[in-house]
Amino acid sequence: MDFIRTTSMEHTLSVLEAYGSAATLLAGGTDVFAQLPRGELTPGVLVHIMPVPGLSSVVLEGGAISIGALASHRRIAVDGALGGFGSLRQAAAQIGGWQTQAVGTIGGNVCNASPAADLLPPLLIHDARVALVSASRGERSLPVSDFVKGRHATAREADELVTSFLLEPPGTHTADIYLKVGRRSAMEVAILGLALRLTLDDRGRVAQARVATCAASPCPMRITAVEEILQGEELSADLIAEAGQSLRSSLSPIDDVRGSAAYRLAVAPRLLARAIEQTKVQIMLANSG
Amino acid sequence: MQQLTFEVNGRREVVAVDVGETLLDCLRERLHLTGAKDGCREGECGACTVLVDGQPVDACLYPALACEGVSVRTVEGIGTPSEPSDLQKAIVEHAGLQCGFCTPGIVVVLTALLEAVPNPGRANIQTALAGNLCRCTGYAQIEDAVLSLASGAKDGL
Amino acid sequence: MTNIGSDLPRADGWDKVAGKSQYTVDYSESGMLHGCVLRSPVVCGRIVRVDVEAARSMPGVRAVVTATNVGNGRAGMLVRDQTLFADREIRHHGEAIAAVAADTLAQARAARDAIELEAESLPALTTMAQALASDAPLVHPDWESYALNPMAAELRRQGNVAGELIADPDGVDEAFERAHLVVEDEFCVDRQYQAYLEPMSAVARFTDGRCIVRTGSQFPYNIREELAAYLDVRLSDVRVIGQTVGGGFGAKLGCGTEGYAAVLSRAVGGRSVRVVKTRDEDIVTAPVRENAELRIRTALDAEGNMTAREFSCDMDCGAYGLETPTFPSILFHFAAGIYRIGPVRVHARAVYTNTPPTGAFRGVNGPAVYFAVERHMDNIARRLNEDPMAFRARHMLRDGDTLLNGQALADAHIAREACEAVQKSLPAVGARQSGDRLRGVGSATGFWVTNPLPGSVTITVGEDGRLHVLTGANDNGSGAVAMGLTQIVAEAMGVSTGEVIVGLPDTDLSGYDSGSQGSRTTHIVGKAALIAIDDLKTRIFDVARQMLPPGANELELVGGMVRAVGIGDAQVPLAAVFQMANFSNVSLSGSGTYATTPPAFTPGCAVGLTMPSLLTPTYHAHRAEVEVDSVTGNVRLLRYVVAQEVGRAINPDGIMGQIQGGIAQGIGFTLTENLRLVDGRYLERSLEAYRLPLAQDLPRVEVVLLEHPDSEGPFGAKGVAEPPLVFAPAAIANAVSDAVGKPFYKLPITPEDVLFALDT
Ligand SMILES: Cc1cc2nc3c(=O)[nH]c(=O)nc-3n(C[C@H](O)[C@H](O)[C@H](O)COP(=O)(O)OP(=O)(O)OC[C@H]3O[C@@H](n4cnc5c(N)ncnc54)[C@H](O)[C@@H]3O)c2cc1C
Ligand code: FES
Ligand code: FES
Repeated sequence: MDFIRTTSMEHTLSVLEAYGSAATLLAGGTDVFAQLPRGELTPGVLVHIMPVPGLSSVVLEGGAISIGALASHRRIAVDGALGGFGSLRQAAAQIGGWQTQAVGTIGGNVCNASPAADLLPPLLIHDARVALVSASRGERSLPVSDFVKGRHATAREADELVTSFLLEPPGTHTADIYLKVGRRSAMEVAILGLALRLTLDDRGRVAQARVATCAASPCPMRITAVEEILQGEELSADLIAEAGQSLRSSLSPIDDVRGSAAYRLAVAPRLLARAIEQTKVQIMLANSG
Repeated sequence: MQQLTFEVNGRREVVAVDVGETLLDCLRERLHLTGAKDGCREGECGACTVLVDGQPVDACLYPALACEGVSVRTVEGIGTPSEPSDLQKAIVEHAGLQCGFCTPGIVVVLTALLEAVPNPGRANIQTALAGNLCRCTGYAQIEDAVLSLASGAKDGL
Repeated sequence: MTNIGSDLPRADGWDKVAGKSQYTVDYSESGMLHGCVLRSPVVCGRIVRVDVEAARSMPGVRAVVTATNVGNGRAGMLVRDQTLFADREIRHHGEAIAAVAADTLAQARAARDAIELEAESLPALTTMAQALASDAPLVHPDWESYALNPMAAELRRQGNVAGELIADPDGVDEAFERAHLVVEDEFCVDRQYQAYLEPMSAVARFTDGRCIVRTGSQFPYNIREELAAYLDVRLSDVRVIGQTVGGGFGAKLGCGTEGYAAVLSRAVGGRSVRVVKTRDEDIVTAPVRENAELRIRTALDAEGNMTAREFSCDMDCGAYGLETPTFPSILFHFAAGIYRIGPVRVHARAVYTNTPPTGAFRGVNGPAVYFAVERHMDNIARRLNEDPMAFRARHMLRDGDTLLNGQALADAHIAREACEAVQKSLPAVGARQSGDRLRGVGSATGFWVTNPLPGSVTITVGEDGRLHVLTGANDNGSGAVAMGLTQIVAEAMGVSTGEVIVGLPDTDLSGYDSGSQGSRTTHIVGKAALIAIDDLKTRIFDVARQMLPPGANELELVGGMVRAVGIGDAQVPLAAVFQMANFSNVSLSGSGTYATTPPAFTPGCAVGLTMPSLLTPTYHAHRAEVEVDSVTGNVRLLRYVVAQEVGRAINPDGIMGQIQGGIAQGIGFTLTENLRLVDGRYLERSLEAYRLPLAQDLPRVEVVLLEHPDSEGPFGAKGVAEPPLVFAPAAIANAVSDAVGKPFYKLPITPEDVLFALDT
């Protein structure tokens, strides 16, 4: 195994081009250095990209927010520019402890594509796009929902570097939230994670709802069936119960050491109801203030 | 093996390290700085915490070679038994340690906290400690120690 | 008095907080090799072949050992049922098969992975029910041939039952026949991992034909005993030197890595070998708290008085006994709690299974038995429509009442005092609901003991007048040595704690000590120190009298000086007394040994009783207030109040640490820590899956200390460390049952359990 420290985008891309699938990109290393000793990774070369400048900023780019792939969880949790993306900040703030948040990156979290990746549900409800670049084919971007293809599987080609994530600012009368289920107050890989973005119209009806989950299917995903049930409706107890039922039947959780499938299914509708309740209150507070 | 040049507790160090080597092994085995402890090697216990450019990291998961040109601070660089930092002194005086195996990592994280938030409340302290396990103390007296630095007073039982 | 009752900083605190303390993993010797152990992937089986040839010739490898080349010495805390390596039979997942020493750890691991193990899997007894079936194969077909240690003389064993206790007093059946109401409950508790932050480790070498081992053990003298048995050498041919202990909680009483380091060192001709467990290996092989099943039935008369009880319990030893075979005796003593019940029939068994062995964990067996007893009390009170605390108060033992072994409890009223104290701090109100959160309160009360086993101390005055304290007791982190013993010696010698130097234990130098277990160190070793000081003071005073003006009869030690009482300010410093003594053929050193004298009990109160009486009891009341999240089923502690009787608080901050830390372990055991066996293997194999409580998960425990000095204890001190953990599971489980409005019978209480209880 070799170690190459890249200090520019061009350098990185040429190394990726040269080594192809033998290269493993190394950002914060919180996944890579956990996987190496377990033998889950056997790279020919580790390409350390943290020194590449300009990839960790959060900037406004033509009306959209661009988050650099090397932005740390801690950065995301506190960056004022992400005010409209509460769910993303909440998710970042609930990843591991300070030590993991200080070094773990959004690019690493998305590219690792764990079924329990906390940043993915918020990125999904905000229709985020991922930007990639390669030496031979240049830049491209695609929705995160298309990028994440399955458990630890993405649409990234071996010579591509993920550079940023692009999010459109949400409109008015909108609030979002990320709720994570774990047994302790922190340091939990999600037993279930749920992100909701809710927009209410003037009469308090659902103008738009976006729901995504993690740790309840092979990879994090949008739950459009639930969104459709909520769309255009008044948020009655019956509707929320119906949405909860639909959520249950949309999930395919497994039993694992963290929790049983039955538990995940029991929590999911309750969590959705809590998310609806809390976003509703946020919207009402924003309107009254 | 590759050569690594970095600063550790204010001193420039040049060492040869293995490619997959962690910062923890580099500090403990090559530089004989055994303050950072190995409690799990999977980022769960925080006993290995050191500061990299002022940020707390789990040295057990941190690539040694990622430290090229950075500044690392370990518990040894925070204070000594005869000249402890205010935080270290407060932890001893509040009985905020028992077996002491978790203590170096906790001292490092709380040093970073106090640099970022000079007057933290109990909730801030608890959040900062999320990545540090202590099996002995139940944390309360560690929190008391930090609070005493803010208020300057020692609260009793 | 300045040293007693003071929050003085612990003697080892400054090094620890600066990262300078030397734990075994920080200690190395020149030319030291690194060892590691091959462990069985099989749960139960027979070794067909272990081929170490390929491993032996790998780079850097210096030795590979297996059962065939280390001899087959047997050791064990009670029953000598364990060998270092599986010989033919593999009895549990993770059992040691072979060990390797090499120049580097990576080389040792590579060689270990190259050992070819061929093992035939056999049907495994992975549950107690399977092991107790009449046609079950025996985990130890040769159990009758195993030697017993002296402490185990009364142990009753039979096949897969490694220890059995039966108490069958008159009148139980009659009371049940006459009963107006019988309340019957079944409880079960799962295993709990000690999860000390420092994984087990040891460094061994051979010098002058003797084995020298360094280890952060809680019980160096037991390590010596076990090593001598494994190595088949005389006890005195093993020397165990203590290192700073990175937590143990019972797990570091017996050999973990020491034996492997020792046999590897012997195999390489005496070079130093260090063996350190990985976290995964540590979880799989730690002597964790036993899983147990408990059944309890109580007869009540028409007035709601308890008139008799039947209590049966099976506890899982795993494949080897360790401390567990004696737990039925502990259960017996607490089967009635602290209540007047009438005759109590007890049947408790420790059962061998093909699972990793269980052993001592802080409060041995106490958390399980009090969980059952105190949950059962709440259930009875509910059946009677009576307030649980009022029901308890009505039945609580009074001063002089006898326990199940016939021993009188002289000061039982302290338990009432404790209950009143928690009631005052946190009045119990009924369950409440706010939004999707449910709140409830629960309590537990009872008594616990202080381990009476012997300890010894030698104190020597040095040339500069400082005091050197030599003891086999190691500070496991609790502060029992770094605070308790240090402060006791300072006080009795009239010096500041800075003048007292307590060395690490060394079995060649220090006197015998029974280890840091059972909340004993401050009480027993502190008392031994006072006896040593009596001896030492006589010598100091005899020499000092020659140096002081005539008429200096009554002397005292103050501020490092020997002072004549009543004659002006005549005094001599200890350093000068040393010089004088040195040339007067007087050694300025005193020794003391102490073990608590057992109180009278009724012989024949039970059969298989390995610990017939209870010594230096302490009294406790706990109250927890919890909040249950009805969305996730998670439980949070809102408040936790403890009233604990400590005899005399030597260092209140130190006691606070024991209580806060013990409650934290109790909260973990009750709510977050799962150690599940699936077909003989643990499911939780990391500190991610095995969830220790975090700072955010814990309340700051509110503590009321009750002081009723013990006439024997040093300055009145009694044991402190275990009880916080003993009563916490019962109090929390009662609180959760109160909040949810449904009884919980199993530990841990998982969020799933809570949600399913809410849903049904
Ligand atoms: C103790 C601990 C707790 C954790 N808790 C959580 C948790 O609660 N929730 C959660 O979701 N995760 C958690 N994680 C996982 C981890 O922290 C995250 O997935 C993290 O975001 C990964 O980022 P990284 O920079 O460390 O990635 P790395 O380990 O450096 O890389 C991860 C993967 O992404 C690839 N990669 C990285 N950057 C790029 C890029 N720019 N372009 C293309 N590929 C790239 C790498 O090649 C690798 O395959 C935890 C980890 C630890 C150690
Ligand atoms: S050793 Fe690094 S987190 Fe435990
Ligand atoms: S003091 Fe022992 S783990 Fe924290």
